[in-house]
Amino acid sequence: MITFSSTTKRYANGFEALKGVSLTIEKGEMVAITGHSGAGKSTILKLAAGIDLASQGSVLVNNQNLAKLKQAGLAVLRRNLGLVFQDHKLLFDRLVFDNVALPLEIAGFTRIETGKRVRAALDKVGLLNREKANPIQLSGGEQQRLCIARAIVNRPLILIADEPTGNLDHAYAATIMELFKSFNQVGVTVLLSTHDTTGLARIACRRININHGMIADEVKT
Amino acid sequence: MRAWITTHTQAMSRASIRLRAQPLASTLSIAVIAIAILLPLALYILFANVSNAAARLNTEPNVNAYLSLTATDGEAKEIEKKIRLLSNAGAVAFIPRDVALVEMKKRANLGDLLAGIDSNPLPHAFAIKPKLTDTTSLDTLRRDITALPKVETVTVDFEWAKKLSRFVEFAQRIVFLISAVLAAAVIFVVGNTIRLQMLTQKEEIIVARLIGATRGFVRRPFLYFGALQGAAAGAIALIAAVGFTYWVGSEVNILAASYGADFQLRAPTLGQSAWVIGGGTILGWAGAFISVSMYWRHGEGER
Repeated sequence: MITFSSTTKRYANGFEALKGVSLTIEKGEMVAITGHSGAGKSTILKLAAGIDLASQGSVLVNNQNLAKLKQAGLAVLRRNLGLVFQDHKLLFDRLVFDNVALPLEIAGFTRIETGKRVRAALDKVGLLNREKANPIQLSGGEQQRLCIARAIVNRPLILIADEPTGNLDHAYAATIMELFKSFNQVGVTVLLSTHDTTGLARIACRRININHGMIADEVKT
Repeated sequence: MRAWITTHTQAMSRASIRLRAQPLASTLSIAVIAIAILLPLALYILFANVSNAAARLNTEPNVNAYLSLTATDGEAKEIEKKIRLLSNAGAVAFIPRDVALVEMKKRANLGDLLAGIDSNPLPHAFAIKPKLTDTTSLDTLRRDITALPKVETVTVDFEWAKKLSRFVEFAQRIVFLISAVLAAAVIFVVGNTIRLQMLTQKEEIIVARLIGATRGFVRRPFLYFGALQGAAAGAIALIAAVGFTYWVGSEVNILAASYGADFQLRAPTLGQSAWVIGGGTILGWAGAFISVSMYWRHGEGER
């Protein structure tokens, strides 16, 4: 489903965030990328989502080489990805409902279908009673769940989450991790990054530890 | 097809929400665009009316020969014969001085004034249609007629009509130039409004692109926004132009009637009105399209 082949990412300032990484994530897998801050976790996720392009090697998602995809093709591919951002990227001039509805609006869903799907997604993350709130009125944990609701509303094939528990306490972090596991159990491929290994302890998944832009070790629990 | 309709409906709806969200800014932009459309529109209406009036004028050359007041009816008949013999003289019409006076009284409402005069101040006259209308032939004809006895004045009266036609053509070109410059101004005004809109919505654009929006999806509401502004401005300019036409037109009609002329200032037709609103819409759309394209070209909102 996602294949990195000898992938290197070098930034304009010469810093190499990834050094010849080769990695395959199969359909239906749940993979957690771990490592210290600056190890290259986020870079792997950005490359998988097509936000950045590899400097060398290739990244294939659904057998499509992201470097060769044009703007329109990348947009279509992203509709099959659910992205959860470290900084949430919520729109504060839209209500909770409208934030979640955005991917459906982009995909051209009708108002009725959008309403059904948005409420189902909000229900899944426990925010159904906050649909008319402004995201700014939500707590950090709620904003994170709102971001997850937006990522899953389109029923994506792959869920990519960058540090989804980064700013949360342990109890909340465990809830979020369980949420991801529940999506994975219904067939969604999950790729997430975290530096919080204790939060992963109770979750069965494949863990890939990154160190200085290279795969240091890999464990399957 | 259903998805296409849905996305366009949503884009239209988002555009109108954005317009209503900033009522003052939207009103000012629309007002500026409306003024830019109104100026060439008003000039167009004015010159279209003048052009119509000019088209009704007889621009065929007509040579008029006026005899001296002492010329008798017999002398006039002799002169007529001589004119008919000239090679370039076509139809020749004799206008006796008495008939000319009656006509003048009728046409210019000068009955009261002329009634106070003891004798007829008008001479016998001839209206001659020349066969050849080039300048040299007309000049020869004028010279030949002037040389005849008792002929006092000879005029070639088509020149002012031709001059008027040329002036109207020149004015139409000026209107076209002004229209082109102001159309560019409309595009810049809309383009700048859209650029500011895009900058304030940069985050939304980035998020939309990250979750699968095509450039078309992002561009669409801005295009509708520009088109709506242009259409609204076109409609306002049209209403103002029609209002002015009726307001000024009633005075023009009275003024023209007092000179015995039949001139009416006409408002734009339904077809012309559709062109004004359609033109405003297209200009607004074009301004938005250029602005969005430049935004993409600079790679803003792309990650």
